[in-house]
Amino acid sequence: MSTISIQNISKRFGATLAVDNLSFDVHPGEIFGLLGPNGAGKTTCIRMILDIFEPDAGEIAVLGGPMTDDKKNRIGYLPEERGLYQDIPLDRCLTFLSTLKGMPEKSIAPILADYLKLFDLYEVRSKKVKELSKGMQQKAQLIATLIHDPELLIIDEPFASLDPINTRMVMDLLEDKRDEGKAIIMSTHQMNQVEELCDRILLIDHGHQVLYGTLQEIQSQFASQDILVTALTPLPEFINGVAAVRHVNGRTLLVLSEGATPNQVLKQLINQGIEISAFEIAVPPLNEIFIKVVGKQTEGQDG
Amino acid sequence: MGKIWQIIKFEYIRRVSEKQFLFALLSLPLVVVITVIVVFAISVFTINTDPIGYIDRSGFLTDAAPNEFKGNIFDPAIDFIPYSDLTRAQDDLESGLIQAYYVIPQTFPEVRDVELFFIKIPMAEAQNQFMQWVRQNLDTFKAFDPLVLERLEEGSLFTMTTLDGSREMQQDQWFLLILPIIAGITFIIVVLTSGGYLLQAVVEEKENRTMEIVITSVTPTQLMVGKTIGNISVGLTQLAVWLIFSWIGLSIAGRFWPALNNISIPGEMFLVMAFLFLPSFIMIAAIMSTIGAIVTEMREAQQISGVFSLFVTIPLYVITPMMMNPNGTLALVLSFFPPTAPIAVMLRMALTTVPTWQIVVNVLALVIFAILSMWLAGHAFRLGMLQYGKRLSLKELFRKQEAA
Repeated sequence: MSTISIQNISKRFGATLAVDNLSFDVHPGEIFGLLGPNGAGKTTCIRMILDIFEPDAGEIAVLGGPMTDDKKNRIGYLPEERGLYQDIPLDRCLTFLSTLKGMPEKSIAPILADYLKLFDLYEVRSKKVKELSKGMQQKAQLIATLIHDPELLIIDEPFASLDPINTRMVMDLLEDKRDEGKAIIMSTHQMNQVEELCDRILLIDHGHQVLYGTLQEIQSQFASQDILVTALTPLPEFINGVAAVRHVNGRTLLVLSEGATPNQVLKQLINQGIEISAFEIAVPPLNEIFIKVVGKQTEGQDG
Repeated sequence: MGKIWQIIKFEYIRRVSEKQFLFALLSLPLVVVITVIVVFAISVFTINTDPIGYIDRSGFLTDAAPNEFKGNIFDPAIDFIPYSDLTRAQDDLESGLIQAYYVIPQTFPEVRDVELFFIKIPMAEAQNQFMQWVRQNLDTFKAFDPLVLERLEEGSLFTMTTLDGSREMQQDQWFLLILPIIAGITFIIVVLTSGGYLLQAVVEEKENRTMEIVITSVTPTQLMVGKTIGNISVGLTQLAVWLIFSWIGLSIAGRFWPALNNISIPGEMFLVMAFLFLPSFIMIAAIMSTIGAIVTEMREAQQISGVFSLFVTIPLYVITPMMMNPNGTLALVLSFFPPTAPIAVMLRMALTTVPTWQIVVNVLALVIFAILSMWLAGHAFRLGMLQYGKRLSLKELFRKQEAA
C-alpha cells in the first residue's frame, strides 16, 4: 500500500493555477524527490498533503486515507520556512514540539538527549534558541522532524545551512530511515543530492507534471548514444561511427554519428587491440535534465 | 485535550517566566506598598505630639479627670497642661514646649465658647481630643449614657433612596459608588494585558515561522484555544496577585481606618460582572488574534491593538458627562456598543439603577459580538498565518474562500 496516493489534484489561488491535475504515489521504504523550479507548486502540493490547504479537485490519501489528527503524529515535516521559538532554551522548545506530535512527556527526555548528542547539540541544550548559529538551528529543526519516529517524512531543503560533515550525517540518517521502511518526500534544488538519495522523482513546473519515474528511467530517457570510455592505451584518431571526441574528467566522451551503435564502436576498439578498462553509455546528469526540461517549458510558456 | 493542555502549559510558563511579566505583576503591589509607606511616613513624622495647654478661667476643669483617650499611631494621646496665666502659656508656646493653648472664659458654662492660641494650627485630631476631654468633664454630659453621647457625636446618617425605591445608598457606603469603576478599570487592564500577551504569542508564531510546524501537529482550533486559555490564565494570575495584595493592603489599612473593614460587594454586582466580563474576555482575545493573524510584525500589531484599546477605554475619557447623566444618550450608546460595554455598563451601575432588560441586552450584544469576533479570528488565522512578510488586507480578509 502506498504511504501517499494522490489522484488528479488541482489548486487555484485567484487567477493562478498553482497545482494542475497532479497524480503520484509515494511508497514505504523510498526517498521520493519532489522537484521543480521556484514557484512550480511544490510547497502548495506539500501543504495539500498535510491538509493545510484543501485541493479544489482530486483525491489525497495519506497513510491509507484522509488526514486525521492521529495521522499528524505519524508525520514529520521540515518546512521550507524554518522556525523555532527563539526566546526559550533549546531543550524546552524541542520538548514542546515533541509533545505536539503526541509523544508522552516522560518519554521525550532520553530520546531527545540521544538526538542532541547525535547532532552535536547536547552541550548547548540549555541555551536560548536565538543564541544558536543558523546551522545549529537547522539541526535542531531536523530533530523536531525526526524525534517522534514518523512513518512519513516530508523535508524541504534538508541540507541547507549544513556543513559537509553534517550533510553526510543527515544523508546517512535519511538512508537509515528509508531502510527502516519509512516513506520520505524530499524537495530540494541540489540535484547531486537527489541523484545520491532519491529512488524516484517527480518534476513539476507551473503546477503540472513534467517528469515522473525512477531516477534510472528518467536518466535513460534523456541518455543519448554517447559513450564514456576509459582506455589504458591511446584511442585511435579515427573511429568509424564516432562524430566527435571530447575529454571529460579524465575520461573520453565519444559522440556517435547518426545510425552508429555503441556495440559497433566497442567491436572496432577491441579489434584494434585497445585496452579498455571502462565502457559505458553516458548518462546525462540530473541537473542537465532539469535545465533542459524546465528551460523548454519556460520557452513554451513564453512562446 | 492533551495537546491543548500542552499548549496552555507552554504559553503560561513561557509568559510568566519573562521579566516583562514579573515587572507588570509586581508593579501595582510595589506602587501600593511604596504609597502606603510614604503616606504612613509623612503622617507619622508630621504629627505634632507636643502637649496642649489651657487656662481655665471658669474653673470647671480644676478637678478634671485625666485624658482617657488611648490614642493610635495616627492620633496619639496628647497631654493637656493647665496654666494659671496667659504670659506663661504664651512663653511656652513661643519656646515650643506646647503646640497651642486654649483659653476657657469664665462665662464658658453659659456661652460654651473657647479661644485657641497657636503659631501653627494643631491638627484636627488634637483639637478633637481636647474637646472630647472637655465634654468628658462637663457635668451636663456626665448625666448622659456614654453610648448616647457617642451616637450624638457621630451626628446624622443620611440614606438616599431613588424615587422608585429601587436603589438606596447610605452616606458611608461610598465604596459602592467607586467599586464598579475600580472593577471595570481593573478588568480592562487585565483583559488588555492578556490580550496583549495573546497578540504577542500569535505574531511571534508568525515571526518565528513556527506556525507551519505547529498547524501540521495540531488543529487551528486546538492551537487558538490553547493559546487563548494560556494567555488569559497569565492575566488572571496577575489579577489574583493584585487582589491578594489589595486585600492585604486593605486589611492593614483597616486597622487605622475602620470604615474599610465594612466593605463588601453585593452578590448581584458580582453576577453582572461575571456575565459582562466573560464574553468581553473572549471578544478581546479573538480581536487580538485577528490582529495577530493579519499583520507581519509585532510593532505593527501593537499599533493596531493600541487603537483598539483606545476604543475599549472610551468610557473612561467621557466619564464626566457619563456621571452627569448616566441614563443619557452617550451612556446608553456606549453601554450598547460591545467594545465599550464592559466599562460603560459598570460605570452606569455605579451611578444609576440600570434596568434588568438593558443589562440582558448589553450582555447579549456582547455574546453575539464575541461569537462574530471568534469567527473572524478563525477566518483571519486560516488566511493570514502562512503569509510570511505580507500583510493580509481587509479586502482579502472579507473576500470569500481564497488563500495564500
